Amino acid sequence: MMRGNGRTGGPAVGVLAVLFLTAGPPVRLTAQDSQYGIRGLGTPGRWESVRARSTGGAFAPFDLTSPLMEASLADAGRLVAGAMEGASYRRSELAGTTASLRETRFPLMGLSGRVFGRLAVSGGFTTYLDRSWDVTIRDTVVLRGTPQPYTDEIASDGSVADLRLAAATRLRSWLAVGAGVHLLSGSTRVSATRRFDDSASYQRLQQSDEVSYDGFGVSGSLLLDVTRALRLAAWARSDDRLRARVGGAVTAETDLPDMIGGGVRLAPSPSARLAGAVAWRSWSRAGPGSFNTLSWSAGMEVGAGLGPFRLGVRGGQLPFGPGATAPTEFGIAAGTGRAFAEGRGIIDFGLERLQRSGGGLEERVWTFLLGLTIRP
Amino acid sequence: MRPGRILWLAAVVGAAACVERATAPATCPAYCPSGSLTVVDTMLRGAVSRDSAYRGYVPAHHAGVMLAAALPGIDSRAIFQLAPLGVRVALGTDTTTSPIIGVDSLRLFMAITRRDTAAHNLTLALYRLPHGIDSNTTFADLAGAFTDSLAKTVNIDSLLTRSNGKDTVTGDSVAVDTTKRVAVVMRLDSSQAPYTSADSGTLALGIRVGADSLASIALTVDTIRWFVKVDSIHGSDTTLVHKLYTRGVTFRSFVFDPPPAPFGSMLAVGGVPSARSILRLSVPRAILDSAQIIRATLILVPAVPASGAPADSFKIEAHTVLADFGAKSPLVFDATRTDTALIRIGATDTLSIEITNLVQFWASDTLAPTTVMLRSQAEGANLAEIRFFSSATAASAPVLRLTYAPRFPFGLR
Repeated sequence: MMRGNGRTGGPAVGVLAVLFLTAGPPVRLTAQDSQYGIRGLGTPGRWESVRARSTGGAFAPFDLTSPLMEASLADAGRLVAGAMEGASYRRSELAGTTASLRETRFPLMGLSGRVFGRLAVSGGFTTYLDRSWDVTIRDTVVLRGTPQPYTDEIASDGSVADLRLAAATRLRSWLAVGAGVHLLSGSTRVSATRRFDDSASYQRLQQSDEVSYDGFGVSGSLLLDVTRALRLAAWARSDDRLRARVGGAVTAETDLPDMIGGGVRLAPSPSARLAGAVAWRSWSRAGPGSFNTLSWSAGMEVGAGLGPFRLGVRGGQLPFGPGATAPTEFGIAAGTGRAFAEGRGIIDFGLERLQRSGGGLEERVWTFLLGLTIRP
Repeated sequence: MRPGRILWLAAVVGAAACVERATAPATCPAYCPSGSLTVVDTMLRGAVSRDSAYRGYVPAHHAGVMLAAALPGIDSRAIFQLAPLGVRVALGTDTTTSPIIGVDSLRLFMAITRRDTAAHNLTLALYRLPHGIDSNTTFADLAGAFTDSLAKTVNIDSLLTRSNGKDTVTGDSVAVDTTKRVAVVMRLDSSQAPYTSADSGTLALGIRVGADSLASIALTVDTIRWFVKVDSIHGSDTTLVHKLYTRGVTFRSFVFDPPPAPFGSMLAVGGVPSARSILRLSVPRAILDSAQIIRATLILVPAVPASGAPADSFKIEAHTVLADFGAKSPLVFDATRTDTALIRIGATDTLSIEITNLVQFWASDTLAPTTVMLRSQAEGANLAEIRFFSSATAASAPVLRLTYAPRFPFGLR
């Protein structure tokens, strides 16, 4: 962990925290989009802080500000609040057509701390599924005996958030356990617009509605310190169903996956850490066009204090796609961080490059990540 | 500021900058949403019921113009009465008045607001009419006066060819302004428009129009200027004084023959007195409540060719009503809830009136009566009329054609 340089004052931390934590409206707490999620449930969130994501996600099981595992909360010494923002620049190529897309998201916010004794609790939200997309379709329909060209625009703006309440404790000096409950909640503003070329005869068709989502899940995890330098992590999670409602009526129910994962962290010296993680998710339960996914990551963090350097790679599959096999993704990430206000505040910065492919679609994404952690 | 801090600041600002561009072209069905917009086009036969026509909304004497026409099948004549001049007038600033003892001349100021430019040798014939004409005066009542009381005839085309449009001998003149309005000044002498002190100088006049063909005009009469002789009685002075006095119009109308025929079972729009047709539409609630209307067309089949002067193509308007009180239903005069269609004289083509605005209004206000009133856009200012088959004639009954989109299946995966 970084230490403060002791040269800046505490009030700046509060101002920064307020600005950052109120910067994004809750409905937009979404992670990076992908066109692979349009026909599926959406694009799953990462559940990683900027620090963990800068290592490809390898440090997520061991990072108490990442909502992937609860057991890591057992290392929380005092109140910690964190949030992050991501700005993605995505370029997609599909059937010879290229599109450049940009999104800004606020996918993570959380608060954790030790309440009494060894028990630490955490609350916060992260993106479970991003359901923000906007597509245009050009076609022709015969109306009153005449072909009428039109342009459809169908858009969805919103996400499903994972509201987590977690607790963790250290049972032994070498063993920490944690558990959490997850309320899945969110909504999307969906609109469908058709513009006929002959707008004098056929008026613009526009319909919109709000779809709300809810679901429930539980999770558990443990951290095992094999030696002072070697730590192992394991976690599991089960979510029930995602219910979509329009006007209070359930319009769809989709089974959500069970997940298991684990990780290993090696810290040969106080200023060098290596980690690896793997996760499996049974997304194929979500129905046709869905696939089980296996993802992996490996990363390192070098240095402590003023400027740690983080680097990582990740790979795996995406849960939704049009082909017979799951689309794949590969990414590399790097980042650093800086403490200020005598260590009460930390700004983390990361840069991630992702490449996704499958089903005739290629996506290349640059994502700038910015995280703020406050330890009042 | 140190370079390191500047880099940090740039990185933070760059990452935090809010940007959004999410629209991408789709390749369906692989990368399209599972739901899609669908459009349905349907002919609702039998959607129009309890339709009927009424006449009398704008009678001739309330029309904005007077119509004069001499066409095969229609003869229309303008009639008007001018305010009385009086028998005595004040010459000075006191209350003493002097008697009018005669008229030097008069100038009648008129304007032709609409004419068929294909008509040649357009003439206006001015007739003296008996005083006391009113809204009950009929074509037959004035048949005699229009036969034997000709005061003057003016050839408009001939005047237009003269320098400045003026005949220096007769004193008549014409001028065409930028709106194609033809201003006509007709000079009359005392024999053509005699001053009668018993009538206080009241004048009632009528105008017939003539041409080689296509004689049909709309005109207005503005004022008449009297140039009169007044016997001065100031002191011992008894010389004649020549004065100018202007009087306006107190009544104007037009009479025509033949009168409008009964509707029978037909719908009618236009004519004089103007006719309107009311149609009650039954749009399925499932469509009004749940679908979005993108086009609605009312299809009407003419029962007879549209009648009127060939140049008198006219627009009919489809209004919805505030409340359905039959013939007296108050119309909604709102451009966003009014649709129009152009009627060409002599045409028998099926007429399509786009009433999308109206049906969308009914969808937004489910308590509004789904009633359409058809009327001429210039009611009373045009003799043209069109008649349609009503729902009583099943084979040619009015039909509502709807193009709509059912509700998008929101909330599906």
